[in-house]
Amino acid sequence: MSTERTPLSDKDLWRSLATDRVAPTAVSEMEFAAWLEGQLGEADAARIDAAVSANPELRRAALELSDILGKPLPAPPPRMAVRAQALVGFDVEKRAGRGSWLAGLLPAFGQGFALQRGALAGMTIVVAAVGFMLGGGLGESYATQKYASAQPAGVTLSKPLGRDTTNELNDLFADAT
Amino acid sequence: MTELNQIDLRALAAGSKRTWDAFVVATTPLINAVIRRALATYRLSEDDVMDAAQDVFVRLCANDFRLLKTYDPARAGLSTWLAVVSRSAAVDYARRRRQATTPIDDVPETALAVEDRHVEKLKIPEGLLTERQTLILKCLYDEERDVVEVAQLLKIDAQTVRSTHHKALLRLREYFRGEAP
Repeated sequence: MSTERTPLSDKDLWRSLATDRVAPTAVSEMEFAAWLEGQLGEADAARIDAAVSANPELRRAALELSDILGKPLPAPPPRMAVRAQALVGFDVEKRAGRGSWLAGLLPAFGQGFALQRGALAGMTIVVAAVGFMLGGGLGESYATQKYASAQPAGVTLSKPLGRDTTNELNDLFADAT
Repeated sequence: MTELNQIDLRALAAGSKRTWDAFVVATTPLINAVIRRALATYRLSEDDVMDAAQDVFVRLCANDFRLLKTYDPARAGLSTWLAVVSRSAAVDYARRRRQATTPIDDVPETALAVEDRHVEKLKIPEGLLTERQTLILKCLYDEERDVVEVAQLLKIDAQTVRSTHHKALLRLREYFRGEAP
């Protein structure tokens, strides 16, 4: 019986060996793309070679992408492009959106849409409050009710608050004549 | 149809609708191909392919085109970079959706092998092989790719792959001659 070992095939030899467990290296998308194109210098390429060797997922990604980039591409479904195009808005729409006259009175807040809306709401409240004050506010309404309740029944007050100067003016004109 | 290398990247990053539309038309075939290949092992539906492709475009234009602005034309071609970004987005999408399933015939033999823990493997000493030699051996034996595929990946001649493979194995055999692996 022969004691000589049968030489291992290249594949079996490789599989009988353990490669070092290299700590995973972070590879950016830009670096990986440059490596795929063979654009990196020797040192950088060796670093990515090591990362791709150590990481089966990265290795599969590399093999897959290199295959796709070297072949003619099939036509995509038309709605794929239509959906993607809708992600970026129309310039004309953007301009029209800024065009309300009241918004034009406000200082420019850039992209601060919420801030602009907040300022508009604030202005509305101020205008309403000023209008209310000019109208006499709650004080006048309260006094009207109080005065009306103090009058005997059947008396109609056309102008209950303040002084009624109608008679005084009549007297004045009467004296003048 | 506008070619990818004719896209004005500055106008694109500035949010020009017309440039974006041309960019989408020029890149959709590549993004579609990368997404389909990446999702093939996950057995997802056509709607998932559409959604994953939309995810890629959303990534590109999100936050005022922040990702797109990281692209450096001096370092790599736009199509290669886009392919990398698309694959990464597709894998993220698939992981969110479901676990990958691969037909057993498509899985490399090494991935299915049950390691005999009683047989201690001999460790390749650091520095015996270059990173490139290790990568070529892994692609050939662990991924079971042929020489032409590896050459295409590394942008080198098939003959260079063969020669690198040969030199790597000579080194291994020489080193382990006494060890009899």
